[in-house]
Amino acid sequence: MRLMKLAVVLVAVVALPFAAMAMQHEGAKKAKTIDELAKMYDSSSCKGCHSEIYAQWEKSHHARPLMGVKGGLMLTPLALKKGTPGSTAFSEDDPKKMKIGNYPCFKCHLPQAITSAEDSVAVELTEALLAKDSAKVGKLQITCIVCHNEKAIIHKRELGAPEKGVLYGTKDVPSHMDGTFKTVKKSAIIKDPVFCGQCHGLGPNLEFDQAVQCANLYGSYLHAYIPTGGTQTCQDCHMKPINGKADHLIAPNWNDQKATEELLSKAISLDVQTLGYEWLKKAGALVPKIVVNTKITTTAGHRIPDG
Amino acid sequence: MDVITKYKDKDGKDVENKQDRQYHAQATNCRDTKMKYGAQWKVANIRDTSLQPGQAKKETIEVDLPEGVRSAEVTVNLYYELTNPDQKYPIHSVTRKVSLDR
Repeated sequence: MRLMKLAVVLVAVVALPFAAMAMQHEGAKKAKTIDELAKMYDSSSCKGCHSEIYAQWEKSHHARPLMGVKGGLMLTPLALKKGTPGSTAFSEDDPKKMKIGNYPCFKCHLPQAITSAEDSVAVELTEALLAKDSAKVGKLQITCIVCHNEKAIIHKRELGAPEKGVLYGTKDVPSHMDGTFKTVKKSAIIKDPVFCGQCHGLGPNLEFDQAVQCANLYGSYLHAYIPTGGTQTCQDCHMKPINGKADHLIAPNWNDQKATEELLSKAISLDVQTLGYEWLKKAGALVPKIVVNTKITTTAGHRIPDG
Repeated sequence: MDVITKYKDKDGKDVENKQDRQYHAQATNCRDTKMKYGAQWKVANIRDTSLQPGQAKKETIEVDLPEGVRSAEVTVNLYYELTNPDQKYPIHSVTRKVSLDR
């Protein structure tokens, strides 16, 4: 019996590291389906302890990065059959030919697809977009893990790549109560505008074989706001603390008409001055005229509109 | 931004003059001169009329009234259009009565 116990212990001691390695290897495997990719980056376990932040995120555009606004499916033009009206240079003549590279938008709208998905995910997404399957497309989200792991380090040559099982936040938490992410390390950039700038863009994305341009927001911040002496960060305005914690709605939420109107009216001012008089165009020819002078100012640290 | 001027003409008929201004970055695909919407079409901005940080956007809009008209109502509507003109987010609306009489 003692011998059996010893054997069990020995097997356990020998097998455990291999099991851990196997798990790590599994983690390196790429997702073949939308469900697999969604599961790989599923952040629902965060909800238990961070319910307020999770609820804010659920309403945010980060929770529906492929949905556009008000129920749209913004990637549909790329999914359309090549040559049909509305199709793009990224479209193919058969959905089965679609690859991750056919969706340059993944750079920001679904960065985990680039690192962790097989081309079969692009095929499934294409078919879902063509079928207007919002439920399936909606499974693909910029989850907590994307920002708090995947995008948390930009000095990889010095600091290394984001570690598996580690989240990155505003402070170190050596013992984090989670089955997978057992540690939180302080990110060097998570409170900086450059963190947001990884996606909320500089301008044309010239690294692709077909250049595209989406958001210019960070470029505007750097080249138009900073030169005015601006010192506020993206986080200062868009993640103002609620109950002491950064607001992860990261407004605006364009689906919330009322709140967005309020936000815009706070950030943008309009002054109107009028004058009524008779203009003497030429002798004896008075023209009744109204002059309207408008002046719009903004407190935003970037151009409006941008994204 | 819409600037709407309303007045009654000499026959008492309601007349409306509407002028608008659009403020946004404008991009082409750098292969032709047509403006494009959609990231997958755009390559670079060629013009930018958007609201800029730290800079006031000023306009002077003139409306000539018909002879004999001495007053009008001016309304300036500022709104945000998202993706297309049907998706509006009103920001400010200012109405002024303007008279040519002292």
